[in-house]
Amino acid sequence: MKLTRFEMAWAVAALVGVFPGSVDTGFASIASMDVPGFLGEALRRIPLRAALGLRAAIWIVAFAPLPTLGRFRTIARLGQADRERVLARLAASNSYAVRSLVMMLKTFGALLYAADDGVRARIEIPAVTANIVPLRVRRVQAA
Amino acid sequence: MARHLDNPPPRFTDDVVPEGAVVDGETHEGEVEDGSFDYVVVGSGAAGAVAAHALAESGASVAIVEEGPWVKTREFGESVYGAFKRMFRDAGTQVIEGRSFVPLIQGRCVGGSTVMNSAIAHRTPEDVLDDWTARFGLGGAITAKALEPHFDALERQLHAHAVFDDALGQNSRMFLDEARAHGLPAERMHRYEEGCRGSARCFTGCPNGAKQGMNVAHVPWALALGARLYCSCKVERVVVERGRAVGVVAWTTSTEPDARRPRRVRLHARRGVIVAASTIQSPNLLRRSGLRARSLGEHFQCHPGVGLAGMFDRPVDMGFGATQGAESLALRRSDKIKLETLAMPPELAAVRIPGVGRELMQRFGLFPRLGVWVMTVRAEAEGTVRPAWSGRDKVRWTPAPIDMDRARRGMALLARMMFEAGAREVWPGLHGVPTAIHSIDQVRLIDEVAPDPRAFGFIATHLFGACRMGPDPRASVVGPDFQAHEVAGLYVVDSSVFPTNLGVNPQHSIMAMSRLAATRIAAGEVRSRVAA
Repeated sequence: MKLTRFEMAWAVAALVGVFPGSVDTGFASIASMDVPGFLGEALRRIPLRAALGLRAAIWIVAFAPLPTLGRFRTIARLGQADRERVLARLAASNSYAVRSLVMMLKTFGALLYAADDGVRARIEIPAVTANIVPLRVRRVQAA
Repeated sequence: MARHLDNPPPRFTDDVVPEGAVVDGETHEGEVEDGSFDYVVVGSGAAGAVAAHALAESGASVAIVEEGPWVKTREFGESVYGAFKRMFRDAGTQVIEGRSFVPLIQGRCVGGSTVMNSAIAHRTPEDVLDDWTARFGLGGAITAKALEPHFDALERQLHAHAVFDDALGQNSRMFLDEARAHGLPAERMHRYEEGCRGSARCFTGCPNGAKQGMNVAHVPWALALGARLYCSCKVERVVVERGRAVGVVAWTTSTEPDARRPRRVRLHARRGVIVAASTIQSPNLLRRSGLRARSLGEHFQCHPGVGLAGMFDRPVDMGFGATQGAESLALRRSDKIKLETLAMPPELAAVRIPGVGRELMQRFGLFPRLGVWVMTVRAEAEGTVRPAWSGRDKVRWTPAPIDMDRARRGMALLARMMFEAGAREVWPGLHGVPTAIHSIDQVRLIDEVAPDPRAFGFIATHLFGACRMGPDPRASVVGPDFQAHEVAGLYVVDSSVFPTNLGVNPQHSIMAMSRLAATRIAAGEVRSRVAA
């Protein structure tokens, strides 16, 4: 299954809403990563039903600004603050289907985002490319 | 002995395999017809690998057929998605359906789920075995005394021991202190490992070859004894002739989406077919093979688990320590819950951390202070396993109200323990409760949440039943001798035969049961009930 150009733009916008990065936190934005490549590859691998779920999640998020903010525009046309408001409301939705699908989208984003070497360095975790872990016998001292 | 990988030099057990011992369906050209063995073992996880090794040790010729690829130790990386797409069934997207969707984690590679679990060794509790005797008529066949030599042997072979101090990690250390402060006996986890460096990477495959998964233990050991492994080959059906299992038909598979056309693999079994494909795949394989037992696919059970995450006021560093280093069984019998620790990889932590955008980023930045403790329920609910229209597997299961009540109490207990251990905020992950609670007074909100499965973020890891064992063919699929009631020479040796769940991590029980079965089969103690 392949996403259309529009769907991919909505997906990227939604994931930037979830993982925006910022100078003050020291994280890069997911926009700097290969979101289209990752989603395209994942959609070819996962079973059809899961792929349909991910696609449904993208459509729900794309058009959620209307029911959540009363704005007739897609998620891609919102600023970061409004994207976050939309996504936060969807994640807390009383509809199990809606919040589950949004969580699914967040999961795919997290699989890409937290595997990034820069992100991992920021949270003091070895890079994904580090295949053999060096011996780390050390203790964490209580504060 | 020929080196399987030419460069660099061998370092791990799975670097070296005998010449010709592995037929890889991903790369094998042409069909494989009529390879002939004493036994064909379907599956290379905890049950299949141990059975294959025990049969090979008895001198029998053995073929192991595994649906997934053999991912070698030196190929294991840090990326969760990389592991999902290569080693997990359905690339990690498998779910149980019911009133809610419950993610279901299963390995699909040589070694099965032992490649990505925490290698926890618990003997089958005696109260569970007593229950199997009393309610399911297994007395005499499956007893603590019968299993004991197999537990002893496995513990020796796989170096089962409590987590050493230098690999424990702060997440587990805090849990042990806090559980004991609550008056709950708690222990370091007993695991199969040799030389654990505390990489906290059990979930994506141990990069040091320290965890004694089947991929580095019983599979290579069986190959060294002359067994042959057919990996990336999915068994379509067991071939039954005149009421007796005589072989399997399989097709080559690939984890790559644009793989070539599957090739057929047909293997002949002179003495029997051993099915160890797991609780989900075994019943559907038997169904595809023509078995029609009334209880086939029924009585599925699991241990649903929920991870409670907390942000502490000091470093926890989940990136160091045994992935699951500590546990408490104090409430296993009274409340049917087990408490344990879990080092969550950052990809999964990023999902578990509440919020989106800046709120998420700020919390994610404090990842080194994040701790995760888990509660699993010995759930009473039963479900079903059936084939789906797509040819995949369909599992239906919904937790019972009493399971929900126990889960809620277990989560509340963990939340209290986290606050008392110094958590600044705790993230229950429960719909209807604030995403972050900030004081022990707010824990009552967990106690008060509606017992609706859709409010909880369960994950199912331990799976049981669906090919239940018992003496009555109307109520079970296999007899106490592990042989299918309907087909001679067809044995099921994985946790699908367990009459109930256990309340503890099942790998040790699965391996001991499988070893017991294989030893009896090899010794000729199991007689065909159906005339050939």
